[in-house]
Amino acid sequence: MTIAETGSAATRLRRRFALRGYIPLVPPITFLMIFFAVPIGMMIGISFQDSKTLAFSLGSYERVFTDDLILAGIFRTMLMSGLVAICVTVMAYPVAYFLARSTSRWRTVVFALAIAPELAGVVLRTYGWLIILEDRGFINDALIWLGVISSPLPLAKNLFGVVVGLTHVVLPFGILALLTSIQGIDPNIEKAAQILGASRASVIRHILLPLSIPGIVSSLLISFTMAASAYATPALLGGARFKVLATMIYEQIMFYINWPLAAVMAIVMLVMMLAISFAGARIETRLHKKLNV
Amino acid sequence: MTTLKTLTVAAAALFTTIGAGRAEQLIVNSYGGPYEAIIMERIIKPFEDRTGITVVYDPVGSASQDYAKIKATKGRPGFDVAVMTASQSLDGCRDGLLEKFTTDTVPNLAKLNPAVSRMAGECGAVHEVQYLSLLWRTDKLKAAPTSWNALFEQELKGKIILPTFQNIMAANLMQVLSVKNGGDLLENVDPGFKAMAVLAKQTIGFEQSSAVMETYVKGGQVWAMPYWNGRAQLLMDSGVPVDFVKPTEGTIPLIATLNVPVGAENKAAAMKFVDFFLEKASQEAWVTGYKVGSARSDIEVPEAVRSRQITTEGDLEKLLLPDLSITAAKLPEWGDRWEREVVSAAN
Amino acid sequence: MNRFLAGLFWLSLCLILAFITLPLLVVVAASVSPSSTVTFAPGDWTLTWYSAVWTAKWLDPFVLSLKIAVIVSLASGVLGALGAYAVAYEKCPGSDAIMSFLLSPLAVPQIVKGVAIVLFLSSAGFYVFLGTSGLIAAHIVLTLPFAARMIATSIHNFDKNLDRAAQILGASKWQRMWHILFPLIKPGVFSGMTFAFIISFNNIPLSVFLVRPGQTTLPITVINYMEYSLDPVLAAVNVASLIFILATIFLFEKFGGFSAQIHGGSK
Repeated sequence: MTIAETGSAATRLRRRFALRGYIPLVPPITFLMIFFAVPIGMMIGISFQDSKTLAFSLGSYERVFTDDLILAGIFRTMLMSGLVAICVTVMAYPVAYFLARSTSRWRTVVFALAIAPELAGVVLRTYGWLIILEDRGFINDALIWLGVISSPLPLAKNLFGVVVGLTHVVLPFGILALLTSIQGIDPNIEKAAQILGASRASVIRHILLPLSIPGIVSSLLISFTMAASAYATPALLGGARFKVLATMIYEQIMFYINWPLAAVMAIVMLVMMLAISFAGARIETRLHKKLNV
Repeated sequence: MTTLKTLTVAAAALFTTIGAGRAEQLIVNSYGGPYEAIIMERIIKPFEDRTGITVVYDPVGSASQDYAKIKATKGRPGFDVAVMTASQSLDGCRDGLLEKFTTDTVPNLAKLNPAVSRMAGECGAVHEVQYLSLLWRTDKLKAAPTSWNALFEQELKGKIILPTFQNIMAANLMQVLSVKNGGDLLENVDPGFKAMAVLAKQTIGFEQSSAVMETYVKGGQVWAMPYWNGRAQLLMDSGVPVDFVKPTEGTIPLIATLNVPVGAENKAAAMKFVDFFLEKASQEAWVTGYKVGSARSDIEVPEAVRSRQITTEGDLEKLLLPDLSITAAKLPEWGDRWEREVVSAAN
Repeated sequence: MNRFLAGLFWLSLCLILAFITLPLLVVVAASVSPSSTVTFAPGDWTLTWYSAVWTAKWLDPFVLSLKIAVIVSLASGVLGALGAYAVAYEKCPGSDAIMSFLLSPLAVPQIVKGVAIVLFLSSAGFYVFLGTSGLIAAHIVLTLPFAARMIATSIHNFDKNLDRAAQILGASKWQRMWHILFPLIKPGVFSGMTFAFIISFNNIPLSVFLVRPGQTTLPITVINYMEYSLDPVLAAVNVASLIFILATIFLFEKFGGFSAQIHGGSK
């Protein structure tokens, strides 16, 4: 009897402690409930409406999963975002490593350079890429002048152009994500390994990469989601031939005013991203277990 | 502590900006760029001088974006008057998002050409009529084109640009070509799509933004393209060696309208503004300033302006006038066909 | 091998920085080009386009964007830190699910979020919030996940033994938070807030729906101007705002030690 009583008292105590742990969550969760969950719930409701009569209908779902143009758009979105995520993470790593470890005065310069393009506006920067990449752009003109090629390479208005433009837009975010993680790794571990005779390559392989897995996963996830939901860059650099989900959703909302269809496409995107971030989290823990350390 | 101070200062500053100014005012949503300067000088300043109402000018968004905003806010987009087109006017009336006009609230409505006015429905006041013209570089083309056929000439291979389907010009061009090739404006458009597929082989690509299309013309990569005559004229006036023509086979007009959302805060002032814009003197000022046509046939404008515009009953009769609500209903289907038949045919 | 790797590292660093700067150079070149179109044509240059920047037409939206971005970055820093603390530090039960919820706004296209928020505010009758305050809330929805993820990443690296040691030595919970936890997660908070600032400052898809007439943000002013004329004024506006922000960072660096903030964790 007494044992049971103390037992339940202990549980109650533990529960109270646990509840206290949730208190910091109240402001962010309340905020997201009001300004995100409820509005998106409304959009999910709209996805079951007929665009004309507003009656209940699964028509938009049927269309998304049978229309080959939309399915091609979904495929392009995944391909594009995957490539951007990889390019960004690979390119961001050296920069982030330099920023985290260097003590030279160049650090501030490199940091400013890494962040600066982001502050110059997405639209105009993308237009800058168009000037560089188009048929009569900077690169093609230079290559033709040098005699390397005789007719212009198709660098813009296709997957290549969009991946280049988006990598540029997303890169600073990849750098920040990796920087945060690399800074948390004690530089003394690397030094110790080197003193003990480990080669640079094996320091990278066995210390740096395993310890920066949270940062790498962060960078991949953030890049993927930013690329998949970007509108301006694919619209300008991809053109009419390279339509992705985000541009299609934009068209349905702004031009065709078919919100149910836009809502269904958004739900497809939501599911896709949730699956990817779930997979990311799983891979993260598995790699942690495997490489640890 | 300092961050807290910055936050307070920023928040305070923000709320002062929000709360400022509650005199009688009117918020007019329209377009930016050179258009803004002309509407300010020709219409808004005279309106402010006459009525004492302060106009806040909002250049945000295209016609379809404005309509999307009106729909999302259930008729309370924050502006009192929007400059859109007849197809948004019809949609808005059907969805109950736009105010209906009567000759009581807007007396000058009675002066408009009834056929044009009817195309915009009860919720749109037609303040301007443009047409789809053929724009061409005078220094590149050997002879002045007169027909849409010019776009198909060998000379223009790789020298034209087309709008994407999200620019209503695309659908209108397809309709014009459909009629030209034995089809009609709405039901039998196969000839139109067939012609567009041929035309697609001539293009250097598709662009959504009119400004980007213009850049190609300015740079000399593009020698001809379909374009609304008002903007064609602006481009011509800016010194670019271009001219435009109303092709002999006929063309489709762009019927621009003034609209008042149902939830407009300054509805009385909005009605005054709409009526003011439709007055004879304002229409004359607008036609000579922005160089577009008018739905009022009684305006007096110089012959040089009149000859290029739609201003008389005769001009109006020569236009191809598709039913805009049917056109709007056809857009999703046509958009699909555009992707499959036109975009994929391009090089 | 080591020399080769070091060489490869420096080479790739230089190439990546060149990649970052390239389109920026085009924009800068266009902003000083005498030609009236946005082109890349080295040679003559002029500063006339910059004189158009110093007018209310561009300054007002710039100031508004700046204010919004500052509020958004502070708010997402605070909300993100609270969320990340509970999830990554306290590791409260269900923290994976909670983190997924905090990150979920990332998975919805911005334009859909914009429509959804406007629809919600209108349906609920909160018309007063349509406009700048709604815009700020929408931006925070967008930036909070980034901040939460960044801060959580830096907490991941946090060595809890430090905290335990301090506890054994008798430090109170608040003391430990302020003197141990906060300095160590500062880089995460800083990155998250930088993210938030940039995203808010550049945002178009959400703002399109939420800007109020007469209170337009800079990117929206730019795209509206662009719809009518794609001229070097736009390039000048972007370069000028960039210079202003970089100058601010420089001043912070001079007086407050900006890079000390970035590098707070590694010392």
